Amino acid sequence: MFDSLSLTRIPADDEALRQPVRAFLDEALKDVPPEVRARSWGGFDASFSRALGARGWIGLTLPKEYGGGGRSLYARFVLVEELLRAGAPVAAHWFADRQSAPHILKFGTPAQAQFYLPRICRGEAFFCIGMSEPGSGSDLASVRTRATRNDNGWRLDGQKIWTTNAHRSNYMIALVRTSGDAGSRQKGLSQVIVDLSLPGITIRPITDLTGDAHFCEVFFDGVQLGDDALIGAEGDGWNQVTSELAYERSGPERIYSSVVLLDEWLAYLRTQRAPSERSLALAGRVLSLSAVLRSLSVSVNGRLAEGHSPVVEAALVKDLGTTLEQFIPEAIADALGDDPDAALPDGLARTLQYVSQIAPAFSLRGGTREVLRGMIARGLGLR
Amino acid sequence: MDNEFGDAFGQLLADRCTPEVVRRIERGESAEPLWRDLVESGFVDALVPEAQGGAGLSLHEVLPLVQACGYHALPVPFAETMAARAVLARAGRRWPVGAVTLDAIGDALPAEERRALHAALTTAQIAGAAARVLEMSIAHAQQRSQFGKPIGSFQAVQHQLSVMAEQACAARMAAQLSFASAGHLPDHTLAAMGKCVAGEAAAVIAAGSHAVHGAIGITAEFDLQLYTRRLLAWRVQAGSPSHWAMQVARQWWGGTHDRAIDFTLERLGAAQF
Repeated sequence: MFDSLSLTRIPADDEALRQPVRAFLDEALKDVPPEVRARSWGGFDASFSRALGARGWIGLTLPKEYGGGGRSLYARFVLVEELLRAGAPVAAHWFADRQSAPHILKFGTPAQAQFYLPRICRGEAFFCIGMSEPGSGSDLASVRTRATRNDNGWRLDGQKIWTTNAHRSNYMIALVRTSGDAGSRQKGLSQVIVDLSLPGITIRPITDLTGDAHFCEVFFDGVQLGDDALIGAEGDGWNQVTSELAYERSGPERIYSSVVLLDEWLAYLRTQRAPSERSLALAGRVLSLSAVLRSLSVSVNGRLAEGHSPVVEAALVKDLGTTLEQFIPEAIADALGDDPDAALPDGLARTLQYVSQIAPAFSLRGGTREVLRGMIARGLGLR
Repeated sequence: MDNEFGDAFGQLLADRCTPEVVRRIERGESAEPLWRDLVESGFVDALVPEAQGGAGLSLHEVLPLVQACGYHALPVPFAETMAARAVLARAGRRWPVGAVTLDAIGDALPAEERRALHAALTTAQIAGAAARVLEMSIAHAQQRSQFGKPIGSFQAVQHQLSVMAEQACAARMAAQLSFASAGHLPDHTLAAMGKCVAGEAAAVIAAGSHAVHGAIGITAEFDLQLYTRRLLAWRVQAGSPSHWAMQVARQWWGGTHDRAIDFTLERLGAAQF
């Protein structure tokens, strides 16, 4: 059962990327407070993304002919791990780097690749992922947004929601219906690339419970797309989206969302002469779980690197990972209550508050815990 | 991580260490015939250097053997004897004939290293038993019908099994880290982390399997208990999850790492496989 997930070594060449990335990030982020860095891959900073692009750290795995780095998925794992560790504001290029660019490379035409990929690598083309709709959350196959063929290409009508960074992105890869109706389910779905500057598109950010505005409502009202908007084969959208989700779910961002808080807390413990046994035991437990999860995450990455599509394994590691991510703020909050008279450093208090409030999202975004457990059950032969 | 040694040894245990044999030995019948079969197989000297008549394997190569002990609920201390012989051989000492526990090591190894070795052996057996219990639970959920359909078709049951699969996977990786050594002893921190995680997983898997099996799983007659009793014992044996969490924390405290990932990466860097 899942015997494919074995201890996997990151090649030394790829591991060597860690030091230059770390040196750059230590300098770039030295004045950024922890509660801001805790936004992790939710933090948006276009100029920071362009600075990474200038160093060749966007599209690391893409072919050099398209402006990419021509490196392996292991190199990207190291890069991403360092970005997350530092709490770098990577949201602007994150989705293009993680899934849109590999997706265009895999399913797009050479012309599409030539058009989009070099700009993605330079940090000049930001992407968002148009999947959820008001009536289609976990039940993604019920999407209603429709692209209809016309003389000029496609006419797009409908609505997406919870689209992260739509208001700050240049393009959306949207899952839309090109034939049938919502009852047709997986059949008749396709993916189109939408230039978000086109007429007929309205984007409204939605403020989250922490006060941030990252996800959006996006309305399409008779948007005219060109012939070349279709990515991949018409009607093959569901298969394409499924393969995209293996990339979306397998990365280290599914185990490190609370790592800035963890580091702030560990630093706070270090300021004490003798932390309580309970706090130390918690630290040891979290460090142990992190080591095992990180090993599992590298191993899923290895499966991807070998050309497999480890959809079930990725779901399994994501569910374990988000459970740890959610455990960390809960347990730290409790451990800090050991001494009701202790004055917490402001940075730690604000970071704990932010991560505690946003933590429920960890097991919603990228597929809910319940959806993932259903996928694992299918992998076990139960569905 | 699977290898030919593991396959051959697993087959041997499947033949000779059946649930019926496990029960007989637990009832007090002699384990001697089973032990003789194991000794004749030669696997018990797997970690002894070749120059001293062993197979000269490293710890990471014998992981499948120790997992198989857990998978088959082997009721004799094969893994402990194998490890004790490895230590005594390298100390230039003779080892006792027959099955021994790690106590046989005596002062040939510092107490701290012996505890880590014991923890690693226990973690690998947890991983083996976890895989067995998960397989049994899935099979039961597919076969047992209520309300006119297999209970495995109910979402609540599916999700319990998914959680068990996650924990079995974590225990398996914990075992791989614990055994990631080119020598005959584990890295202390990796063994500590492994036992902390596997010990917790053992409890989740045992409880989940009983929830899925219902009343039949509680009976002496049904085989599930052979593995879940061991899972719960192994959770405590060689140090509880909290004990090993404290060991990991002390190592972190004694170091200079500012960030959790730096500590984790440094310790994972000790893995040899």
